[in-house]
Amino acid sequence: MSEDVFNIKKLNEEYFCFNTISELQNASEGILKDYLISVKDCICVKDMETTAGSAILKGYKPLFNATAVQKVLDEGAKIIGKTSQDEFGFGSFSLNVGVGMKYPLNPINKNHVTGGSSGGSACITKLLKNHISLAESTGGSIVCPASYCGVVGLCPTYGRVSRYGLIDYGNSLDKIGPMANTVKECALALEVISGYDSKDSTSLNVPVDKYSSYLERDISNLKIGIIKEALGDGTSEVVRNKFDEMVRKLRDKGAVIDEVSLPLNFKYGIPTYYIIALSESSTNLSKFCGIRYGVEGDLKESYNAYFTKIRSENFGNEAKRRILLGTFARMSGHRDAYYIKATKVRTLLIKEYKKLFEEYDVLISPTMPNQAPKIEDATKLSPLENYMMDVLTVGPNLAGLPHISVPIGKELDLPVGFMVIGDHLKEGLILQVANEVEKNV
Amino acid sequence: MFNSDIVIGLEIHVQLDTETKLFCGCSTKGNDSPNSRTCEVCLGMPGSKPKLNRKALEYALRLCLATECDIASELIFSRKSYFYPDMAKNYQITQYELPLGSKGIIELSNNKKIRINRIHIEEDPASLVHPAGMYNSSSVLIDYNRSGNPLCELVTEPDLTSPEDAREFMKNLISILKYLKIYDINKGIIKADVNVSVKETNYTRVEIKNVTGFKEIEKAIIYEVNRQKKDPSGVVLETRSWDSENQITISLRKKESEEEYGYIIDPDLSVCDVNKEMIDLVRCNLPELAHQKISRFVKDFGIKDEDARIICQSKELANLFEKALQDGISSKTAVAWVRHELNRVLNYNKKTLEDLELDERQMLVLLNLIEDKTITENVAQKILEKLMESTFDVKKYVESEGLKSVSDDGELEVYCKEAIEEGKKAIDDYKSGNEKAINSVVGLVMRKTRGAANPGLVLKKIKDLI
Amino acid sequence: MNVDCELVKNIAKTARLELTQEELESIKNDLSEVLIAFSKIQELDTKGVSMSIQPVEIRNSFRDDEVKESLSENEALSQTNHKKDGFFMGPKSV
Repeated sequence: MSEDVFNIKKLNEEYFCFNTISELQNASEGILKDYLISVKDCICVKDMETTAGSAILKGYKPLFNATAVQKVLDEGAKIIGKTSQDEFGFGSFSLNVGVGMKYPLNPINKNHVTGGSSGGSACITKLLKNHISLAESTGGSIVCPASYCGVVGLCPTYGRVSRYGLIDYGNSLDKIGPMANTVKECALALEVISGYDSKDSTSLNVPVDKYSSYLERDISNLKIGIIKEALGDGTSEVVRNKFDEMVRKLRDKGAVIDEVSLPLNFKYGIPTYYIIALSESSTNLSKFCGIRYGVEGDLKESYNAYFTKIRSENFGNEAKRRILLGTFARMSGHRDAYYIKATKVRTLLIKEYKKLFEEYDVLISPTMPNQAPKIEDATKLSPLENYMMDVLTVGPNLAGLPHISVPIGKELDLPVGFMVIGDHLKEGLILQVANEVEKNV
Repeated sequence: MFNSDIVIGLEIHVQLDTETKLFCGCSTKGNDSPNSRTCEVCLGMPGSKPKLNRKALEYALRLCLATECDIASELIFSRKSYFYPDMAKNYQITQYELPLGSKGIIELSNNKKIRINRIHIEEDPASLVHPAGMYNSSSVLIDYNRSGNPLCELVTEPDLTSPEDAREFMKNLISILKYLKIYDINKGIIKADVNVSVKETNYTRVEIKNVTGFKEIEKAIIYEVNRQKKDPSGVVLETRSWDSENQITISLRKKESEEEYGYIIDPDLSVCDVNKEMIDLVRCNLPELAHQKISRFVKDFGIKDEDARIICQSKELANLFEKALQDGISSKTAVAWVRHELNRVLNYNKKTLEDLELDERQMLVLLNLIEDKTITENVAQKILEKLMESTFDVKKYVESEGLKSVSDDGELEVYCKEAIEEGKKAIDDYKSGNEKAINSVVGLVMRKTRGAANPGLVLKKIKDLI
Repeated sequence: MNVDCELVKNIAKTARLELTQEELESIKNDLSEVLIAFSKIQELDTKGVSMSIQPVEIRNSFRDDEVKESLSENEALSQTNHKKDGFFMGPKSV
């Protein structure tokens, strides 16, 4: 057992941030050769158990690496394991872990949630040096835990990073992105994992920018919009204060900062996101039925009974809830009012962002309306209240816009996240602003 | 609502003859041992993603153009959700919102136009093996070699009104597929779901699922029509299957309600443009279609529409016909010998021109010999029949067997005189008034010349001599 | 939108999920609350608005018809114990 693995095992006993701890390194040269890489459990690593946080995939060892994983391996990185998460990405706290699995604890205060669904990734990122995590976001699952755990989380433009090898939650919403302790490390990781992948039909065929080169550019010529709906009563006073403090510092650096509004997104973003995400994911999860891979049972019943048994016993409650909602949204009779309608509303919501980007370089807001809640408080929330937690993050996720969360308020007992959102393929710009934020913390 | 006694609609699945599957690079041909041509995509393993095979779109477009369909301007795929052991993902990637082709036509010989409702592309599920028969096996064996194969689905309107109609429709469709080179006639699979209803039941629709091969389709329809007519009150709206072993249909499930497929547009695939450039490119690379050839033959070669139709039913026959005419054979001879004689002999021997390893040059030689009367029709027929068995050098054969027409008067007279001698009794009968008796003498001459004499000339000669 | 036990059972059956009576009750209420909240998207006028399948413009992703290497039979079957003579084993189909 290597020293790395030994240390990680010890940390894991305390924080439950890994589902699998295992080492894999292909090359020893490359830009990531000094880095340990943890991979969210929904991203396939060849021959390493990959469950997407679900009991139904127990024992599944993919026959291939996800493209993003292959890219980090090709740059000399050492993979150390698969991080814990909400089952299939279904959650904002990483509490909805699979049947029989353990949820990760906040590295700053174990009584609080890590955020989700990439909770394990955020947790271990905070605890380790020289480490980057490959995480995943559908509705906010990179920036939310980054915000709650005090690390940097970057979610790129939809299609910027290949989804090949990512176990699907919402195919039109999922993105792989890095989490690290610094903006610089995120920029580095993004350069490695980005790029066109011919195996992924939704991969963008555009050249990869030199993201690191944006880090030392000053922000004095940038026009920045503060999303006003993000600073209403739903956002805690602590968060608002910390956010305003940082805005003042950015103004001092010469950025032009106005208030902007996204009324449609704030009114309809959550239902639109959930209807689309769950319609898609309820079909994605159909394949899990106890044949070919994962959990298996005795083949004595007929197919409907067998499938039903395997699925009912091995999906967690939230997974079941979302499958039912998603199935409903696309059933004939409801399909027009829910699924089809939501995809059309999505077009309008994206337009709302695009209009602002005609004038503004980036938009900013707090990442989450609060600091990491206590675990006991989070478990008391109803499903709808859970879904509403995503209010600040669904917008950029639904629109496929790149966004990044930088931790501010390090002096607080729990960190706050500062989010920068850019137009499609403007990862450089958001890194530029994020870097400035990081320098002024 | 329906005019006819019997109403039939077909939903036909054709396997497109591409090298690779619809959404992954696994081969569609070759190794048949189970699960030897699979990958994470066609096995439905989590993390895998589909990517569309361009050739499948091209092939499907050929079929849409050949059947005069309206073509959609975009190619959009949907997920059709249902759970079954042969489904790799428990949803099938198919087309729901906007089929590639719609409102097409396939014509039957009685000038009846069968309307095509839609043509679309979808993937094939895996194949199931029931170790102890479908109803007695405690589990199934699944082979994913077939999973992901590209299928073209063609749905007709309920315009067919008899099993014969259906059979002809299928034959015409297969002929089109062969012309278009998008279907492997040897290894490709055609399956159909057949909808049958009769007047007696007030057109209660019964669906017979998954009938393979066009001969079985005709049989299934005949059986089902009889079953429904025999006991109309016992017919319910349901799905049945065709038991080809016992040649009956059996009830599968009652259709109380539509299956809940919960369609969404597949977000793993991009929408594709099907624009004018693409369509024109496919169109100009299309081989001439049967109905176009028919029109051309009638116009250029001055033959009857009916004859053209028969000739063009087989691409090989049509090619042969055309070559003959280019070679200088008159259309009269070509029609008589290609459309009539050759077809007759082929049908009699239950063969098609493709089946035979016929060197078409020999056929052309034969036609030339017929055209300039070097051999008689009698001899020609015999040579044709011999060609059914194997190909040989016709010219050499005619020479060596001395089969050239005996048109030389002197030679003919010698044979006739001999025959008159041998057939004295017949000649006497003829002279006594039995007109037909002379035929046996003609026959003698024909035998002597091994058919190389023209019977008309022989008769005249004999009459002259006696 | 009336979400009753019958509807939930129907949806569950379609999704091959079996719920206990307790689960049924609790999920029924959850679904009801969520669906009512979500149905507000119907307020928006979307006449003439096209569906967004992906959030960025992605079109014409094709692959050439070239054979790629398949998995070996062993690899394909490696993730399950339910296999026999090169076939996957599954539950009976009737």
